[in-house]
Amino acid sequence: MKRVQAFMRQHPWSWSFLAAFTTWAVTAAYISGTGGLALASTALSFSTFFVMVGIGQMFVITLGPGNVDLSIPSTITLSAVVSMMVMDGSNTLIVLGVLAAVGVGLLVGLFNYSLIRVLSIPPIIATMSSSFLVQSSAIALGRGVKIKPPLALEWISTAKILGVPILALLVIAFAIGMAVVLNRTIYGRSVTAFGQNTRAAKLAGVPIERIRYLTYTLSAVLAAVCGVFLAGFSGGSSLNMGEEYLLASIAVVVIGGSSIAGGNSNVPGIFGSALFLFLLVAMLNTFGAAAGLRLILTGLIIVGVVTFAGGRKESR
Amino acid sequence: MRIRQSLLFATTALAMTVAAVQPSVADTSDKRIALSNNYAGNSWRQAMLKSWGKNADQAVSTGVVAAGDAFTTAENQATEQAAQIQNLILQGYDAIVVNAASPTALNGAVKEACDAGIVVVSFDGVVTEPCAWRIAVDFKKMGEIQVDYLSGRLADGGELLEIRGLAGVFVDDEIHSGIEAGVANHDKFNIAGSVHGEWTQTVAQKAVAGILPSMPEIVAVVTQGGDGYGAAQAFAAAGRPTPIIIMGNRHDELTWWQEQKDANGYETMSVSIAPGVSTLAFWVAQQILDGQDVPKELIVPFLQIDQADLEEGLANTEPGGVSNVEYSQDDAKAYLESVK
Repeated sequence: MKRVQAFMRQHPWSWSFLAAFTTWAVTAAYISGTGGLALASTALSFSTFFVMVGIGQMFVITLGPGNVDLSIPSTITLSAVVSMMVMDGSNTLIVLGVLAAVGVGLLVGLFNYSLIRVLSIPPIIATMSSSFLVQSSAIALGRGVKIKPPLALEWISTAKILGVPILALLVIAFAIGMAVVLNRTIYGRSVTAFGQNTRAAKLAGVPIERIRYLTYTLSAVLAAVCGVFLAGFSGGSSLNMGEEYLLASIAVVVIGGSSIAGGNSNVPGIFGSALFLFLLVAMLNTFGAAAGLRLILTGLIIVGVVTFAGGRKESR
Repeated sequence: MRIRQSLLFATTALAMTVAAVQPSVADTSDKRIALSNNYAGNSWRQAMLKSWGKNADQAVSTGVVAAGDAFTTAENQATEQAAQIQNLILQGYDAIVVNAASPTALNGAVKEACDAGIVVVSFDGVVTEPCAWRIAVDFKKMGEIQVDYLSGRLADGGELLEIRGLAGVFVDDEIHSGIEAGVANHDKFNIAGSVHGEWTQTVAQKAVAGILPSMPEIVAVVTQGGDGYGAAQAFAAAGRPTPIIIMGNRHDELTWWQEQKDANGYETMSVSIAPGVSTLAFWVAQQILDGQDVPKELIVPFLQIDQADLEEGLANTEPGGVSNVEYSQDDAKAYLESVK
């Protein structure tokens, strides 16, 4: 038992998995038959999108206080609109559409960074104002017209092998890669150093401006890629498809045990908390909790998880 | 397309009589009307603004009014919209048409406008301030008729799944209470589960997918619009047979319905509010400025599409938009005459 406690203290992300598993187990016990497995499979499907944007948001948050990317929802929408227009329902144009989406991400990242660097606007304001421009572009460009995704894209976004979504497998592989990037590469260590003490990092020779540029670009590109798959998953783009990712992208990072003050992050927790957030709503819906109660419980449970996961600081 | 409430019948004849007996009391050609809108980020609002713009441009070019400008707040916040209304007062508009972010939070700003002698007409998102006019929608009935329709289709009744809107919003409570009343009238139905789809396809898809594993066989899904296509996706992904999903007049929903109809004869119905209600609000404001006596409380008809009207309904719906009915000045006059 002691060992388990010690493990959980050292690995703040384990709390989110524990929470996700408990929520799932309680719901599955309530559902008869194989509903529990279907629920797990569905949770995996939906959480992949939150993991994609969550990883980008995590790198940004790691940069330290005040660093947060509020342009994620609008980037998801714009990239979905652009990629669906480029693909125009044709399998042969998928690669071109993905490239266009990545292009959107690169542009948004560059724009965010320019606002922060050239005009010295605080990141939270810079990304918020750019999100208005990006969202307006999506409205002007798409006018809310829903273009169906190409069949191959729809297939890869929704297909499952033995109940496990293919997209989830791809995202798990990607997340492992990003965990290595965060912990084992010069870039990842630089991001962490940036968040712990920017001045010290600069004096130690970390090219802080390049790191900041790369990080905001990474976040925007991931949001853009998420937009493409989300459009494939839900049968086309819509103007408000990114909306729920604003708070959720921050929540999965924090519940996952990364420090909101930056400088101390982990990747696995994002997966655990994305599963947890989906399962929590599914559980409360299954039990027929009223919307008000649902929101109160969601808030309380999040506070609980963050308190436990954050408790490690004092105990060290 | 069937229009609930006697709106388009004999419009011309009626309007002519109205025009004949009630000549304009005041000239409105120098009057300026503004639209204060709280949100533009979905297809319904886009269509609403488009209808307003088209209609207002025409009214300005024919000299009926001097201006019909639309202003939308960026953040969907009541405080922001209150500030916007105060700006419009200072800019000297003669009438302000409001789609409000909150039924009560704008009352202070609305009262200021009334005190400054400005006509305030609220629609869709109405305000409770007594000095303003209200063009409200009978949302409760919109919920009730869904269950009435299902009762005709499913003689044996069964389990329903309800997709609600945004928690805490007036419209959501009203449609929900209508659905509850409908289920109370037809007790062969039972609501097995309820989720919040926030009138957003992707959110509805996620919420429905999350609750489906725990659901018994669902015979029909009652909705609030904007969520039908997402529900269809969730049922397909779960490998369940598609129940009767009530649609909400969105282009994607109607397109999906048409595909299903062609493929397997799928039958359902679709109901929502025509975004062109903004043009009705425009003309109501114009009529008030014109000196006409207009009742403070107005109810706007909703737009229902049935199986037989589907092709026509889809053809009349712009890609990416919502099925629409726009009001001309004569339509609005006829409507006002019919509610007197």
